[in-house]
Amino acid sequence: MGIALGAGLAVSIAGLGGGVGMGVAGGKAIEAIARQPEVGGDVRTLMFITFAFIETLTIYGLLIAFMLVGKM
Amino acid sequence: MIFGMWDGVYFHIGPIPVDHLVVTQWGIVAVIGLLAFFATKNMQVCPKGLQNAFEWIVVWTTDFFTQLMDKEHIAKKYAPLLSTFFLFILFSNYSGLIPGAAHIQGFQPPTSNWNVTVTLALITVFAVQSAGFAEHGFHYLGHFVSPNPLMLPLNLLEEITHPLSLTVRLFGNIFGEEMIIAYMMFMVPFLIPSALMALSVLLGAIQAIVFTILSASYIAAATGEGH
Repeated sequence: MGIALGAGLAVSIAGLGGGVGMGVAGGKAIEAIARQPEVGGDVRTLMFITFAFIETLTIYGLLIAFMLVGKM
Repeated sequence: MIFGMWDGVYFHIGPIPVDHLVVTQWGIVAVIGLLAFFATKNMQVCPKGLQNAFEWIVVWTTDFFTQLMDKEHIAKKYAPLLSTFFLFILFSNYSGLIPGAAHIQGFQPPTSNWNVTVTLALITVFAVQSAGFAEHGFHYLGHFVSPNPLMLPLNLLEEITHPLSLTVRLFGNIFGEEMIIAYMMFMVPFLIPSALMALSVLLGAIQAIVFTILSASYIAAATGEGH
C-alpha cells in the first residue's frame, strides 16, 4: 500500500514539475520563433536541449517509481 | 529478470555471456551495414535512391554539427561518431516497434536496458575527454580548476553527471514507453496501443536526436575556447 502510494507520488510530482517547466520553456521558444522566424532552427535546437535537461529530472522520478513497483 | 525484463543468455564466448540484447544489436549493426553497403556499391555522380539518402544524411549532419560546434575541423572529425550514435539509437528504438515486440521474449529494444545505454554514454565520455586533450593538449586539465581550484569537486561532479544523465534519459524514456505499451496491450489489446506506438515513433526519433545533440555539445564544450 505504502509502496504503491510512493510510486504514484514519485512519478506524479516529478511529472508536475517537469510539465510546468517544459510548458514555460516551449511557450517562450514559440514566442521567440513567432517574433523572429529566421532564428527558428537555432531556437529549436536549444529548445530540444533544454527539454532534454528538464525531462531527465522527470525520468528520475519515473525510474524511482519503476524501482518501487519492482519491490512490491 | 531485472525490472520485469527478460534476460536470457543464449551462449558464452569465453567468460562473456551473450544475451538477446547483444544478438539484437548484432542484427541492427548488420542492417545498417547492409544499407550502407548497398548505398555505396556502385556510386554515381548523380545519386539516386539509397545513395541519395545517405549523401543527404552525411551533408546534413556535417552542416548541423558545424553550426552547433562552431569549429569546422572538430565537427568534421566527430560527425561520423555522432551520426553513428544517431543511426544506431534510432534503429535500436525502432526495433521495439516490430508488432508484439514487447511480448515476445528476446525482442526488447536494446536501448531499454541499462547496460546498453551506459556503454553509449561511456563512449561519449571517452570521446569528450580525448577531444579536449587533442585540441588543447595538457592545458585541457586547466579547465578542471577554473575559475579557481575550489571548483575542482564541482567540475569533477559535472563530468560524472553527464554520462549519468545521458544513460538515464535514454534508458528511462525507451523503457517507460515499452512498459506503457505492454500495459496497454494487456488492458486493451486492440487499437489503443497503436496510437501509443505512433507516439513512440516520434519519441524514438527525438531521443536519438537528443542523445546526439547533447554528445555534440559536450564535445563542443570540451574543445571550445575559454579554458
